[in-house]
Amino acid sequence: MNLKHLNRFRCGLPILLLGLLGFAGSASAQNCTTKIGAVLPTSVDWGRPIAATAQFAVDLVNEAGGAGGCKIEMVLRDTQVDPKVGVDAAKALVDLEKVPVLLGAVSSGVTVPILTSVAVPAGVMEISCCSSSTAITALAKEGKTKGLWFRTFATSGVQAAVGTMLAKDKGYKSVAVLYKNDDWGQDISKLTAEALRAVGITVTGSIAINDGQASYRAEVTEALKGNPEAIYMALYPKEGISVVREWLSLGGTQNMIMANSLKSDEFRDSVGVKYLKNALGTDTASPRVASASRFVEMYKARFNSEPNGPGLSNSFDATMIALLAMEAAGPNASGAQIAAQVRRVTDPKGTPVTADTAGFRQAKEVLKSGGTVMYQGATGNVSFDANGDVSAPAVSWSFTETGIKEERYISLEEVNAFMNSLN
Amino acid sequence: MIGWLSYPIFFATVASILAIAVLGLNLQWGITGLFNGGVAAFFGAGAYGLLILGGTPQPDHMGGFEWFYPVALLGGVLFSGLLAWIVGLLTLKLRHDYLAIATFGVAVAFENFVRNAEWFSGGAKGMRGFERPLESWIADPFWFNLAFLGVVLMALMGVYALLERLLRSPFGRLLRAIREDEHAAQSLGKTPSRVRLTAFVTGSMIMGLAGGLYATFYAFVSPQDVVPTLTFQVWAMLIVGGAGNNRGGVLGAFLIWAAWTASGWGLSRFAPVELQLYTGTLQYILIGLIIVGMLLWRPQGLLPEKLIMSQ
Repeated sequence: MNLKHLNRFRCGLPILLLGLLGFAGSASAQNCTTKIGAVLPTSVDWGRPIAATAQFAVDLVNEAGGAGGCKIEMVLRDTQVDPKVGVDAAKALVDLEKVPVLLGAVSSGVTVPILTSVAVPAGVMEISCCSSSTAITALAKEGKTKGLWFRTFATSGVQAAVGTMLAKDKGYKSVAVLYKNDDWGQDISKLTAEALRAVGITVTGSIAINDGQASYRAEVTEALKGNPEAIYMALYPKEGISVVREWLSLGGTQNMIMANSLKSDEFRDSVGVKYLKNALGTDTASPRVASASRFVEMYKARFNSEPNGPGLSNSFDATMIALLAMEAAGPNASGAQIAAQVRRVTDPKGTPVTADTAGFRQAKEVLKSGGTVMYQGATGNVSFDANGDVSAPAVSWSFTETGIKEERYISLEEVNAFMNSLN
Repeated sequence: MIGWLSYPIFFATVASILAIAVLGLNLQWGITGLFNGGVAAFFGAGAYGLLILGGTPQPDHMGGFEWFYPVALLGGVLFSGLLAWIVGLLTLKLRHDYLAIATFGVAVAFENFVRNAEWFSGGAKGMRGFERPLESWIADPFWFNLAFLGVVLMALMGVYALLERLLRSPFGRLLRAIREDEHAAQSLGKTPSRVRLTAFVTGSMIMGLAGGLYATFYAFVSPQDVVPTLTFQVWAMLIVGGAGNNRGGVLGAFLIWAAWTASGWGLSRFAPVELQLYTGTLQYILIGLIIVGMLLWRPQGLLPEKLIMSQ
């Protein structure tokens, strides 16, 4: 055996650990600190900005003096997109760090077991930026979430409807649907195909795109078969890039409709903006609200880039709403007490507050005097239904040379009217 | 006080469930020398089997027969056994790396099947609607988890005792003989193919038991639970603990799962703020270092196989 290497390894690890310990002392000393937990897939490239945005919201609130009388510390754990790891992390946060609130997770396959086996039994509030599964709505309807569950990600119905609206406005007669083969993708592709058929557009095929394949030639060829006038893509950037490249190289149409997951600079740069002139996207954000563009400005100031990854504005709003509810619930509140305050800070009739430090200070005053608050967030005026789900106004967007441009704002009323016309 | 105990109980439950799966793999690889690269499929078959047989009716997928819990659990185990029997008939002619690739393929196929067959398994959104047995009696989550840990430990000890007896029996000796030299065993009038199939099916049923207990604990299973990472985790546990030694397998399961979870906890607690976003990645590096370090330090595992003289 190579002893020299072994020894170096044995020495190296403790030194590394000591180094990590040394840094830990630099945390700021405050009168009191309340911990909140975040279980997010930070080992995945697109998960890291989601966590950074949550931390950003925490920092803004701490500038306003914290929530519930204490500074907030976000303890971040990685889920590795593995349910076992995510549930264990959540359990450790609840039992060892005593967090009253969990932010997360992203994959519904991780979120659901956390909800059923950790959050609900322990009476901890869980709010997710990004889980879209309709299974959670079903759980909430059965009363199994006990009012502890919220998400700022509109269920896929809104985006499916708006995507259909765009296809109809463009006058496409036939559309092929390509979707990421997970719970979100299956949901949204099914809803989109139904909506397209309802307005009389032929769906030439619904093709599942599995993650991490070297080539999608077979899938793309399958999609080409029906000779569609346009394609609808509910894909993530990595797979979206490969699919679109092969699609175009095989002579597929440049008429594309994209879900918000492709709203990424990486996607635009890798495909090439000249091929994306006829590509329209959908999203649930609301750029008309001043606080939404304020979020974009703040994000740019902090991170030096546009908030163009999936789930960023949702993550920001989820964190802000959780902290507002903690403020409303007061010091040492339990998860259930905090969850009960969520409606008070997302009250459509309440005092409007912006999603920044000044807005949080204002909210503190209003809540102290017993009033209610309407949180105007990065995704618009968030309001939850009885199951903890949000509906949202929508936008269509397109790629430009430098970034992403909003094409059209579709108000909540317009979205709802169109969705009703589909049934 | 109860809060601090609650986490170790939770940890021990998951680690014990994984230890059962490791014991199943130990029978296949450690004792019989069958390279099963598809642990996740047999684990998953037990989990899905239990939820289909024991769950409440759901509109969007199969199952909801609400069978009595132990019967449903046994059904899941038999489901794993059936899958293993079919796979074994087809693939056990293959040796070592070929068998590993074939079984790995089976696991990927299983994952893709449950991800896509929405009518059967609910697709990617997973299967829910399982009422955990006795939960209505033991309302307090702490006591429920403690009671469930008792059940899991009993299952673990049962499997352990069974395998220890088997190891010392003439049949165990035959398994090892086949592992060491199949032709020699054949020349003594044994039928290696049938014996290998028996060991493969038994080991897979033990993995199915682990899967069933896992699904009971979470009352939920989704394709995310049966990805190849699980196969890797169970293998790492067996190799680090010591292939061929049941006690080593259990020790390996607890150690690797502790390293897996404690590395995340330690990093979130002690890493500097500016590194917090990268702790997920660092954790992978730490886990990898621990496994590689263990392999370099003790390639035979912490508790290597002991030679047993059986009469």
